[in-house]
Amino acid sequence: MTQVSLHDLRKSFGAHEVIKGVDLDIADGEFCVFVGPSGCGKSTLLRMIAGLEGVTSGTVDIGGQDVTHAEPSKRGIAMVFQSYALYPHLTVRENIGFGLSLARKPKAEIAQEVEKVADILQLGPLLDRKPKALSGGQRQRVAIGRAIVRNPGVFLFDEPLSNLDASLRGQMRIELTDLHARLGATMIYVTHDQVEAMTMADKIVVLNAGRIEQVGTPMDLYEKPATPFVAGFIGSPKMNLFEGRVAEQQGCDVYGIRPEHLTVSDDEGRWKGTVRHVERLGADTILHVEAEDIGTFLARIEGHRSYRPGAVVYATPDPAREFRYTSR
Amino acid sequence: MRRGQLFGGIAALAIATVVFILPFLFVFLNAAKSPSEASQPSFAWPSEWQFWQNLVDVVQVRDYALLLAYFNSIVITVGAIALLVIFAAMVGYVLQRRPSRVSRVVGFVALTGLMIPPAVVPTIWLLQEIGLFKTLHGMVLIQVAYGLSFCILLFRAFVASIPRDLDEAAIVDGATPLQVFFRVILPLLKPVTLTVIVVQSITIFNDFTHPLYYLPGSENITVQLTLYNFQSQFTSQLNLLFMNILLITIPPLLVFIFFNRQIVSGMTSGAVKG
Amino acid sequence: MTQKSPYPYWFFLPAAVIFLGLFIVPTVASFYFSLTYWDPFEARFAGWDNYVQFFSEPFLIRGTLNTLFFAFVTSVLKTILGLLLAVLLTSGIFGQSFLRSVVFFPVLVSTIGVGILFQELMHPTEGAINVALAAIGIDGPGWLTNPSLALFSVALVDVWRGVGLATLIYIAGLSTIPNDYYEAARIDGATRWQLFWRVTVPLVWPATTTVIILSLIGGLRLFDLVWAMTRGGPGFSSDVLASVIYKQYQAGFWGLSTAGNVILFLLIALIVAPLAWWLNSKELDA
Repeated sequence: MTQVSLHDLRKSFGAHEVIKGVDLDIADGEFCVFVGPSGCGKSTLLRMIAGLEGVTSGTVDIGGQDVTHAEPSKRGIAMVFQSYALYPHLTVRENIGFGLSLARKPKAEIAQEVEKVADILQLGPLLDRKPKALSGGQRQRVAIGRAIVRNPGVFLFDEPLSNLDASLRGQMRIELTDLHARLGATMIYVTHDQVEAMTMADKIVVLNAGRIEQVGTPMDLYEKPATPFVAGFIGSPKMNLFEGRVAEQQGCDVYGIRPEHLTVSDDEGRWKGTVRHVERLGADTILHVEAEDIGTFLARIEGHRSYRPGAVVYATPDPAREFRYTSR
Repeated sequence: MRRGQLFGGIAALAIATVVFILPFLFVFLNAAKSPSEASQPSFAWPSEWQFWQNLVDVVQVRDYALLLAYFNSIVITVGAIALLVIFAAMVGYVLQRRPSRVSRVVGFVALTGLMIPPAVVPTIWLLQEIGLFKTLHGMVLIQVAYGLSFCILLFRAFVASIPRDLDEAAIVDGATPLQVFFRVILPLLKPVTLTVIVVQSITIFNDFTHPLYYLPGSENITVQLTLYNFQSQFTSQLNLLFMNILLITIPPLLVFIFFNRQIVSGMTSGAVKG
Repeated sequence: MTQKSPYPYWFFLPAAVIFLGLFIVPTVASFYFSLTYWDPFEARFAGWDNYVQFFSEPFLIRGTLNTLFFAFVTSVLKTILGLLLAVLLTSGIFGQSFLRSVVFFPVLVSTIGVGILFQELMHPTEGAINVALAAIGIDGPGWLTNPSLALFSVALVDVWRGVGLATLIYIAGLSTIPNDYYEAARIDGATRWQLFWRVTVPLVWPATTTVIILSLIGGLRLFDLVWAMTRGGPGFSSDVLASVIYKQYQAGFWGLSTAGNVILFLLIALIVAPLAWWLNSKELDA
């Protein structure tokens, strides 16, 4: 049982607090994604769980044990780095077996473990190459292999796909999800890309400025974003958020409606505006509409419908999908 | 290539030949002459070549002192470089990886070593007190002390180019600080280590001043001191003196031919800040 | 931070023991010993006597002035010649890489060997230099035998030996200047002379700083070449601080020798540190 729980975790660099009290429970076998804009503290939080970053106050429990002050290698974790961190002077085989050789395991056992991992990740033919001679996707797999061989309770991933090109990234997302299903281990995954979060996570943790904004399943966050920040961060294209007079009319401080929950019509609707810009994505078309009283907003319509810039349109929000936020 | 570059090049070659190559030719020619011919050394061709004879003679002088000197110099150079590489790399590594007040102080103290002239007589007194005066061990440690600053700077600059992720991956894999250093970092320092070895070996091999002070005694002679000692003895045998110069110039020449790139990168470090 | 750093300070320890023990401790001790009458048998406190002697005996004053002269002349020549040679050896002339090697090689050769070699070449009557000069009708001077010329001759040999390093540093500096600057300036109609003064010199300034500082430190500390060529002679005419330190040590005047060491240390600190600071600040302005 390797659940992870963080209790009132804080981290300061000098006078500057970067993690401002995080409480979180991650269940055994869960795929948990930390997502947030750069500088929100998500990588720092991951590194605190790994033990690479000291904890200012609070506790980290892994598998029911307090590991707040334990060495990284004593926490039953493995980590995959953004840069992969493959040792350039060692072959793939030596890279995967490095941790075992540090632990002075017998050679035969190391060889056997490495073969097993190579099978899982189809690395067999690459075992005697140096990292230099591998493609980006292959390096990524070696880095994962080095994590698997430790047989950890918890896998930590620090933006592992950000150095790959778009098509490979899509493929690796699927491979990682499959791997999670096969190993059944707890995984914590840091990314700034909400698409990765939505597609892979059992549980998403949205972080902002060192605090948790919201925790939930991908659909929870999409359907019931707790704060305007989460509302704006999860979903693509971004939710339209209005402050000021529009929000006041709705009896709140911030009023939100997703572009896909606006009905666009040629002749009637709640808001009248002019099309300023048209983005055709094929299946969908995104309209940038400028309305006199409320400013610019986005609306998503089906791909076969088309408007020219300058056309006058009417947009009506779906009343069941409106969000109203009031700050206390 | 333009004509100007060609003619300019030929002119430069001619001048460089006169200024930089003729002196070495002078050494070579006179090292091959008979004692009487070499007593007034000149660019004249030797009337009879006795290159090999002179070589044998100079090696035999003072009961094979030159061989002993080679042995001593090699022991000092190899010993000092082995310690320098390990110790300076350890310091450069931690200095680069752990910015702190302690590191700043250590970095500053290390820098002073590039500037301050060693206080020779107090050093002699200290070496006498701890029993290392006139010993090869003492000389090795002295060369380490005087070479550390330069090596630390080189290593520190190079460590900056090794991603920290590698250290952390090893730490997560359960490596102790020593294991991270010896199994991950040190192998990756190979290029700069080679530079340090090449530059320091030439420096230490060519060092005259410090063995003169700290390593007196004929049994402790080093190659540079052979020249100095023979200078008075060979006034009537300048051919042997030139042969001696030739013999101690050969090791640096070989190193220069094979490790040109490392020498250039080591000698110019610091010229380009960035 | 309660965890132990993966970069422990004890990694400094082996180097620190050797460096502090054999370099810093003697340096600190030298301040004390410079205030003593010290010989191989005893050290008695002497106050400022050694320093007073250093600045009253003409041959000791001469040593200090010679040191400054030597460092100044060699630094200036190495800087100017080094830059000119580097510009020449990066201009794509015929035989460029061979020439670079030829210019640099003396840096790696035994200083004592160079000293003895030039001692022969500079012999007043039979030396190759004066023989060559005589062939074109010039009566060559007594390079090392004329007291007013000896130190300058040694300085010339030091430049011959060291200019390769300055050249190498300048070549490295020049290679970092993007070609765009030259092309832009040429489109603006700059002449070769203007290119050199307005583009090359300012942009190669970091290399200039390094060359000047290295040459000055080397020049102030120089011992082996002087010792091999003149032993400080004729008389004391080419003595520098480093040779005075050695002579006083040999004569058993350890306290006086150490005072010379401290003076050398102070000279370097007082000249090099402010100069390095000033050169670096000019670099930021550029």
